[in-house]
Amino acid sequence: MSGTFVTLVAAEIERPSIDWHAIAPELILLGGGALVTVIDLIWLERVRKLIPTLTSLVFLVALIPVITLWADGSGLPRGLWIIDENVPATGVWEGAFVVDNYSLVLKGLFLLSAYVIVLLSTNYMSEGDYYDSEYYQLIAASVLGMLVMSSSRDLISIFVALELVSIPAYLMAAWRKRDLKSNEAGLKYMLMGVFASAILLYGMSLLYGIAGSTLLSDIAAAIDIGESRPVITLGIVFTIIGFGFKVSAVPFHTWAPDTYEGAPTPLTAFLAVASKAAGFVALINVVIVALPTQANVVEPFIWVLAAITMTVGNLIALRQTNLVRMLAYSGVAQAGYMLAPLAVYDGISDRATSAVVTYLVIYAAMNLGAFAVVIIAARKTRSAELSSYGGMFNYAPGLTLAMTIFLFSLAGIPPVGGWWAKFEVFRVLTEGNRTSGIALAVIAAVNSVIAAFYYLNIAKQMWFLPSPDGDNSRIAIPPALLAAVGLTVAATIVSGVLPGVVSDMTDFVNVAAGQ
Amino acid sequence: MMELIVFVISAAIVLGGALGVILFRNPVHAALSLIASFFGVAVLFVSQEAHFLALVQVVVYGGAIVVLFLFVIMLLGVDREEDITEEPFEGQRVSALVSGVLIFAMLMAGIFLSGRTGDDAGDFGPAAISGSSGQVVPLTEEQDVVQLGHDLFTRNILAFEATGLLLTIATVGAVVLVRNRGAEDLVVDEPGTSSR
Amino acid sequence: MIVTESWYLIVSALLFAIGATGLLVRRNPLVMFMCVELMLNAVNISFVAFSTALQDLAGQTAVFFVLVVAAAEVVVGLSIVVAVMRRRPSATVDDLAELKG
Repeated sequence: MSGTFVTLVAAEIERPSIDWHAIAPELILLGGGALVTVIDLIWLERVRKLIPTLTSLVFLVALIPVITLWADGSGLPRGLWIIDENVPATGVWEGAFVVDNYSLVLKGLFLLSAYVIVLLSTNYMSEGDYYDSEYYQLIAASVLGMLVMSSSRDLISIFVALELVSIPAYLMAAWRKRDLKSNEAGLKYMLMGVFASAILLYGMSLLYGIAGSTLLSDIAAAIDIGESRPVITLGIVFTIIGFGFKVSAVPFHTWAPDTYEGAPTPLTAFLAVASKAAGFVALINVVIVALPTQANVVEPFIWVLAAITMTVGNLIALRQTNLVRMLAYSGVAQAGYMLAPLAVYDGISDRATSAVVTYLVIYAAMNLGAFAVVIIAARKTRSAELSSYGGMFNYAPGLTLAMTIFLFSLAGIPPVGGWWAKFEVFRVLTEGNRTSGIALAVIAAVNSVIAAFYYLNIAKQMWFLPSPDGDNSRIAIPPALLAAVGLTVAATIVSGVLPGVVSDMTDFVNVAAGQ
Repeated sequence: MMELIVFVISAAIVLGGALGVILFRNPVHAALSLIASFFGVAVLFVSQEAHFLALVQVVVYGGAIVVLFLFVIMLLGVDREEDITEEPFEGQRVSALVSGVLIFAMLMAGIFLSGRTGDDAGDFGPAAISGSSGQVVPLTEEQDVVQLGHDLFTRNILAFEATGLLLTIATVGAVVLVRNRGAEDLVVDEPGTSSR
Repeated sequence: MIVTESWYLIVSALLFAIGATGLLVRRNPLVMFMCVELMLNAVNISFVAFSTALQDLAGQTAVFFVLVVAAAEVVVGLSIVVAVMRRRPSATVDDLAELKG
């Protein structure tokens, strides 16, 4: 008995103090989310109308420390702990949580996307007679998972963050519980999601078994043996397959179209933009930080994934008649472009990371905008069928113009944002003058042409074809949705006309060593 | 010798239980079979000195999770037999079996082709591969629960807090999703994108 | 004969393969979910085996997190299953054909 006592005393925890500034965004989001929950619990129906506003305020307030960290850190990475020499340096304290420019850009992206998604959700949820305050709490939790993800450099925290992103999303996909389609969307997404988690975890357990540590930088050091072994390859392949589900890469994309169509449309925007970006962040963290020496395994695998993802996504998108499904498949194809830089990351990992993050930022603006227009149009037409967009120019010229900007951007036509994202990808692909990179660039170029066809078809429908039912009454656009469209249009145009604004932020140096 | 006997028996229970889950036609039997499998895993943990995890395995998996499964099965009254002799589509059973065997073969190949390098220090880990020590938190003579707690509240404090939030939010969402507000029906009343 | 970690890894790989096969064969969402739990247990066995072999604690910590997250997943998953099946008690995954992928 006394032996137990001695052990417990000996195990008293000594730890360095926490760098509160570095985790301020997460803490504000956590505290704000809890506050919203408590307010909702106490005043119930009386504050129901205020909850979306409060949640969006929480996102904006959490953005403040992101900006101060950006201004203050001048690129210097910080961690969760303030290490000083009085504490025995164990190494245990370092490296699992990193706040550097790369993670700050992503945190800003996640918080702003979440803000726009709350704007998109406000009218949709309150008019649909569903529980809405809990919906916003779930969004806040999911976004918190994304923030943690951008700083995670450790297998365990990456896994927990990924689940914190996904589990609220399973629930929200099934949120329209009286609608069979939404039920089905949630069930399919959940089953595929947990299956992917299991595969991912198995890969992680193999990586841990090889390296003897869950810390990504330790894994990088342990597998730097100049050769590959089957078990390393297996760990890498399983891990990437697990992330492949989350970013909806072909052939792991099968959940995406059904879930996108069945889920509430604002949540679809959330899945297509924020949740997908979180999957990419996890993938970048693992590939760039932990596997810099395993390019001979990672590159071919991602090359194949990228090539079939963009091709299959575009070919199926061509045949869609429902705009939400078309955007879902086009999102699959866009994921292919985003994967492409990771297929040639060997030796230029910072440039590849910059290209992917640039693409994520611009994609978030243009895709959220497209979904905003879909949501606004559905308020009038009650439909997302392509034909119902006919004649929109006659009764909603401003909306048509906005949608055209988003479509041009998605297709990659200058001067709006999308071209710069694609240009960065092509630049990275051709940088090393490697056959594989150039071949992938050719495939991407062909795919961009195919994609332009169906994007411009939507624009044609809106501008030139007559309205299907001859109803040319105007659409009343609520202020929240108008703000969402305005913000995304501005972001799309600015990122295209002044690409320096984005590329200055995403010009990362030494992402891998950030500790 | 004792270790071998324990290993063989518990591995048989684990795998037999797992086969039961996928072969029993009645979901209740599958769930009970799942409990057997989980207990076998707990014994495997004990034989590797992970006592605390074995305890949690029994309490969380055997206690909470499977009971939840059984509860849902009974609540919904879906404990009827599923006809698993009828294939949903042609060749589905075969393709599933083939992919299962493939996964196993792949894992075995991976594990055995890389491990056996001849040195007795162990087949895996930094020592086996490059000699770099990595950031090993050594297992000592302390009780594993003490060590685990220490590790959770220092290195993994952030992930630990995140799981706390995860459990809370899962409960909130689950309550909203299954709560019945009076006579809810199947009306599709969404001002959204339902095309019918 | 000494039981090395490779033996545990074989059990883990077998369990993982059985779980994956079950997920592909079975059509009842509840049983499919149980198969995912089997796969997660395979992961746990492999983490603990590596942890013991390496004399390193991180693997056991990972198992702890897998356990907690699995509990949250089950809560969420079963609530979705209840939401679906309360309306259609006989639903299998194949009957869910409102949306055609």
